[in-house]
Amino acid sequence: MSDFSIKGLQPWLTLISRLILGGVLLAAGLLKVTHPAKSAMAVRAYEVLPVTFANFLGYALPWIEVGIALLLILGVAVKPAALSGGLLMFLFIVAIAQAWARGLTIDCGCFGGGGQVAKGETKYLEEILRDTGLVLLALYLMKFPRGKFSLDR
Amino acid sequence: MAAKPTKSSGQKDNFTRNLVIGMVALVVGVGVIFSVTGNQTKVSSKIPTIASEAEGYGLVFNPSAMPVIDIWEDFQCPVCRSFESVVGSYLSQLVKENKAKVIYHPLSFIGPESVRAANAAACAAEESKFDEFHTLLYKTQSTTENSGLWSNDNLVGLGATIGLTSDSFKKCVNDGGFLGWVNNIAADGAKKNVNSTPTVFVNGKEIDRNTQYMDLNGFTAALVAAGLK
Repeated sequence: MSDFSIKGLQPWLTLISRLILGGVLLAAGLLKVTHPAKSAMAVRAYEVLPVTFANFLGYALPWIEVGIALLLILGVAVKPAALSGGLLMFLFIVAIAQAWARGLTIDCGCFGGGGQVAKGETKYLEEILRDTGLVLLALYLMKFPRGKFSLDR
Repeated sequence: MAAKPTKSSGQKDNFTRNLVIGMVALVVGVGVIFSVTGNQTKVSSKIPTIASEAEGYGLVFNPSAMPVIDIWEDFQCPVCRSFESVVGSYLSQLVKENKAKVIYHPLSFIGPESVRAANAAACAAEESKFDEFHTLLYKTQSTTENSGLWSNDNLVGLGATIGLTSDSFKKCVNDGGFLGWVNNIAADGAKKNVNSTPTVFVNGKEIDRNTQYMDLNGFTAALVAAGLK
């Protein structure tokens, strides 16, 4: 317990990373599972996917976020869970960036909400920065999946 | 012998771990199936008399008139309220004078009070008071979403102020007689890629959001261009 070296710190950093990435995904998922119609609308508003697939993703994604979050928080299958979470965040960054580049005025719909907003109300930069931070946490977890309070051995 | 206890405790841990993975997978799987199937149109749902499956379950007024105006709205959406204040009475007049086919699609993405309001509006439509009830909903719209203002009791009370006092109306509101229909409208809006409210189509094409929604002259011009006499 008195090991304050980088090596001793790592399991705690892994725990913190798991809780942050997992916590954000859990909040994002739970805020959306109860509003599936709104979630589907938020995905459609990115104007990337065919409507049918966008709707399916809008219904499914909140549950998938909850699932990944539970794995990360409980410390189960941390490596694949971090990979999935990081990949999701990366895809969100791509989706938000293309919306920004094309001049769409939408809310990312990350924590519920979503769809079109007024021109001055977009928050693309901060959404991308937040998701970039979460990608970095996911990368750290993939490199150091073993941490404190984990069911993984 | 010494290795055995370690191995068995390892198996135990793996069991817990696999159990958790299994449970999480189950929750996600059931959740996805629930969300996907729950948001499809169901032909078996009871729909209002003037609703038409062919028109995406919308409430149809003047089925044979031209042009055709499709209005997608959410009774809790503040922009829909502004839209109503600009064109509402004009639309009512078009409906009364049989000058246009007007189809209302009440969406409910803002939450439970949108769902209840849409259901109550359908109940009012059954008593031929949709237009009056529609106006009343926007007049009483709360400034905060799902504030508790549109409970079923309060919706029944609202109806009473415009003469909707029948037992059938009360029962329809309280029992959620058209909740399945409300879901069908939402599912159809999702299929038709309706991403904001209000959304207005004239003869199947969306009118210009910048010039023809919040300006009565612009709105009228769009209708005249579409064949309004």
